[in-house]
Amino acid sequence: MKSILKARWISSFVFLLLLFLITGIVDPTFLTYSSIISCFNNATMYTLLAIGIAFVIMTGEIDVSIGSTLGLAAAMTGLIAKAGGGIPRMIVTVLLIGALIGFVNGLGVAWFGVPSLIFTLGTNGVVRGLIYIVSDGRTVENFTGGGLGSFSNQVLFAEITVYYAITLLVFIAAHLIVTRTKKGKYFIAVGDNPNGANLVGISVFRTKLVAYVLCGAFAGIAGFVFASKYGQVMISAGNGYEMTAIAACVLGGISLSGGLGNMVGAALGAVIMASISRLLVYIGLPSTYDNTITGVMLIVIVVIDALAQRRSIEMARRKRLLSRTARQTEEGASKA
Amino acid sequence: MANETTGQAAQYTLSVKNITKSFGTNAVLKGISMDLTAGEVLVLIGGNGAGKSTLMKIIMGIYQPDSGEISVSGRSVNMTKPSVALAEGIYMVPQEPMLFPNMTVEENILIGFKESPIELKRRLAKHIKELGFKLNLQRKANTLSIAEQQLVEILRGMMREAKILILDEPTSALTFGEVQSLFKVVEDLKAKGISMIYITHRLTEVFEIATDVAIMKDGVITLSGPVGNFTKEMLIQGLLPTDAEMHQAEKKSYVPVDYEHLQPIMEVTNLSGYGFSDISFKLYPGEILGIAGVVGAGRTELISTIFGRDKVLGGKVVLDGKDITGHSTSSVLREGLNFVPEDRHYHGLFKIRSISSNTTSALLGTNEIGKFDMNRKKQNAIAQKYVDDFRTKIVSLEDLIGSLSGGNQQKVVIARSLSTAPKVVILDEPTRGIDAAARGDVYNIIHQLKDAGVAVLMVSSDIEEVVELADRAITVFQGRINGEFRHDEITQDALTSASFGIMGEKEAAV
Amino acid sequence: MKNVKNLFRHWEFFLVVFLILEFVVFGAANPKFLRPASIMTSLVNYISVCIIALFVTLVMITGGIDIQAASIIGLTSIVEGYLWSDLGVNIWVAVASALVVAVLCGALSGFFIAYCGVQPMVVTLGGSFLYSGLALLVSGLSATPAYQGISGFPSKDAVGAFHGFRFLGKGVILGVPTQIIVYLVLIALCAWLLHRSKYGEKLYLIGVNAQAAEYSGINTRAVIMSTYVLSAFSAAIAGTLLTANVDSAKYNLGAGYTLAIITAVVLGGTLNTGGKGSILGTVLASLIICILRYGLPLCFGVSTQNLDLPIGVILVLVVLGREIAGQRMISALFKRVKRK
Repeated sequence: MKSILKARWISSFVFLLLLFLITGIVDPTFLTYSSIISCFNNATMYTLLAIGIAFVIMTGEIDVSIGSTLGLAAAMTGLIAKAGGGIPRMIVTVLLIGALIGFVNGLGVAWFGVPSLIFTLGTNGVVRGLIYIVSDGRTVENFTGGGLGSFSNQVLFAEITVYYAITLLVFIAAHLIVTRTKKGKYFIAVGDNPNGANLVGISVFRTKLVAYVLCGAFAGIAGFVFASKYGQVMISAGNGYEMTAIAACVLGGISLSGGLGNMVGAALGAVIMASISRLLVYIGLPSTYDNTITGVMLIVIVVIDALAQRRSIEMARRKRLLSRTARQTEEGASKA
Repeated sequence: MANETTGQAAQYTLSVKNITKSFGTNAVLKGISMDLTAGEVLVLIGGNGAGKSTLMKIIMGIYQPDSGEISVSGRSVNMTKPSVALAEGIYMVPQEPMLFPNMTVEENILIGFKESPIELKRRLAKHIKELGFKLNLQRKANTLSIAEQQLVEILRGMMREAKILILDEPTSALTFGEVQSLFKVVEDLKAKGISMIYITHRLTEVFEIATDVAIMKDGVITLSGPVGNFTKEMLIQGLLPTDAEMHQAEKKSYVPVDYEHLQPIMEVTNLSGYGFSDISFKLYPGEILGIAGVVGAGRTELISTIFGRDKVLGGKVVLDGKDITGHSTSSVLREGLNFVPEDRHYHGLFKIRSISSNTTSALLGTNEIGKFDMNRKKQNAIAQKYVDDFRTKIVSLEDLIGSLSGGNQQKVVIARSLSTAPKVVILDEPTRGIDAAARGDVYNIIHQLKDAGVAVLMVSSDIEEVVELADRAITVFQGRINGEFRHDEITQDALTSASFGIMGEKEAAV
Repeated sequence: MKNVKNLFRHWEFFLVVFLILEFVVFGAANPKFLRPASIMTSLVNYISVCIIALFVTLVMITGGIDIQAASIIGLTSIVEGYLWSDLGVNIWVAVASALVVAVLCGALSGFFIAYCGVQPMVVTLGGSFLYSGLALLVSGLSATPAYQGISGFPSKDAVGAFHGFRFLGKGVILGVPTQIIVYLVLIALCAWLLHRSKYGEKLYLIGVNAQAAEYSGINTRAVIMSTYVLSAFSAAIAGTLLTANVDSAKYNLGAGYTLAIITAVVLGGTLNTGGKGSILGTVLASLIICILRYGLPLCFGVSTQNLDLPIGVILVLVVLGREIAGQRMISALFKRVKRK
């Protein structure tokens, strides 16, 4: 029965392969190691966001404030760089900012019981306002000092950037936490059946709080990546990224009602979301097709998934019901 | 039982004293005390709203008591949350199993433990062997039957080395065979010295498994003691409401239905669907046809398929000369059939809507309460009429239905099904989970329907109910009709044996 | 006495108090605030959100959510611009075509939600990508570059007064902007639909318990689908008004309104799990946000770029307050503190 769970991320993996293959058929020059690996390198930011929000989505909640959190963290990174601060200070700052915002979200959602969409909608506005305040209403730019700019393009090995390598490590850690550790399974459990979780002694409050803190922290790191990648941070930085991250999770087979999915899916979904515009260029379509393709893909996948799931549940129910009457027929036959 | 000396308190595995609990102004528990010794099976009985579940949730730390004390093995414990209760060795198998549907059986059982997985798996295998369960641990929980889910819950309790196991109406969704294996498990656990609180509605179970029995009524324990001190009649007496305003169905002399001169209003011929097969019966106006059988026999599937909720696989349903086989629910409603679903909460109630809205919800497809505009006056008039007719206890028609008691909620759901002036009414477990007084009122309503010439098809697992009300009865066993009974043939014995698939000579007489 | 108590129980009462407070505070801080013309202008600037929020209320009452409506604003606008400017279609035919396109978009998403059982959040998330993407593609068909926007819509007559298409955006009837009149008409329509008609009753019942609604013979799927069609239709109206107002058909008009729309509906007291909410609440909440956006820069010098912060703060405080008051939370709070 675990195969169903596995099948969900495997299908997104197959889907990613198909995308690469189709692109490769249209333009064989795409099928080189470096262009494929650059798809992954480019997905760094979305991968971090998607993994972070996956924790929250697994518990059955949502967080639409991560776009702003990313923006704030990026702005702070830029400001620290301008002030001559080093990378460790930036990292600590973005982690703290993200964790703090996540903590507030977690309190509002898990303690006070405000519906998560609404609460994080509110904090989204607040954090976006904070970006304005810290940056004094101006775009943060000219902060390539402190080694930040060169850091972003550094290749570690085999054309994998330092960032993606770190992201990979973080991803593996997150994946192991969710699938291998005892407490890691709580995220899924809480999303699957909160009352049942409570009854076996799992604290729903604490689990959701941790999920939000992780989600915020991941968004914070993504903000750091944003700053070093683009070298300037506008007030609207990260606007709408939350939707892309959610879409990535959905593509990766994580159910928005919670309790289903894993980190592999989230990471693959992020790569798909990040690669589409690049793949379109190879296929020869202008990047204006970006959103249309994303939308079609998203809808087609979720509709197929929903129909397949409904069908399998319905089939199982019918089989069970039919077996009841069938059993009697057999018994009757054997009696006769 | 209510021994106060501390020396003796230590020998009780669980002891609760003077527990009170109110929700708002509504006092649910009014000073409950009880004690449990090792190996004791305390069967707790009582009507709905007596406070049994609230008490159990307090013991489990899900609710906090307003006052009172809980001690485990003589130590006073502050049950602030379920994890505290679990650490004290208390485990509750809730009425509706609380599994994680997307996880495997094994994951479901082992979640929340601190020990190493290898050790846990070894222990689990041991417990499974001890209890003799046959369960594939890699199945996902959402593929399990209710009975299997309950076994998983019991295993969870065993894994936690529970000294005190609470079973909240464990048999309400089980088949006969499953009940028997559950009882065997209870016996095994009892022999191992585990104390159990066993909540049930079924009096027969008391004498099968209880060592002690307690009756709860209206937030107090009215009767308790070793089971040997009581007879079934004494328990029934203890459960009956004491106040004089109890509306019991007047025992009218039976008026036989004149089948000779009647044309059937509904004819079901060789109907097959998911969960039932080859069902044929006729339903006459002014009669009550009882469908007996055990839970899971396919009765609910049969009638909800007739009501347009599932696919018909074969056969025919004719209502008043019109073929309604496979019609949608709204079309079936229009043709003059209505339905009181078994599961009031999932299929019946709109909890945060008013009593008026609930009563008239089935009329939205007609022009009865306006064409496009809602005619609120008309709506309230209809709702008021049923409130008066059914003696529903309400304060205002605008009150939310969630604020009513179970019995009154059921009356509103029945009112809804009658609002469309149906020729045929199907009632699925019409008195499930409602108290004795409301039960009497519902019986009166059913009699009134019969007198008004409505054909009533009543599904009930409560054999006494079928005996009391039905003009004719059929029994369904494993999805097929296996017995048909005229009024004078309906006896508790005959229906029970047919329901459990034991054929008597009665069958030949049909 | 009982009526007074009931009044306090209604969320709308608090919204009215809040709105009055806004007028008092802003009015005291800067008398210019109270000029009716300015107030109306501020409302016109925010009218898209106000209009769409009305209909998204219907969606949310059934327990759904619509985060695609904002993208349909841009789609409507660019379809109108393209048909009129590049294909030379009569402007009213162009408007009608755009409305049809929007209805089809709503129907498509609604179908997937109602008939395929996909989560509304996911489908409309996909929809928001798809319809904004389509808008960009339509924009690509036009001779006018996408970033520029198609302008020069039929506007002034010989006397110099607005008429025709642009009258929708700029016209004034008896001193009231046309847009506000359209808004009033839509409020009346929505209020009737939700609170007076049988359709509205069905919406509530579905939101409370869709299964029980099915057992009452209500065709829940068709009703649910219809709410998405209606909200898409309202987005098309908003898009048309906006295009007529700014005299520019652009693919990304209305981008970024999504969260504002949801904020208005939620602040208005609609339960996001469905079954509860009112048009009055949504209207009041829309006005509160609108007045805030107008008053804060004018009276307290808050930058117009930084209005997310106060609105976010208010939303957070309001939902927290409502939750605390609603759940006898205070006692639970003490218990939790004790436990720690």
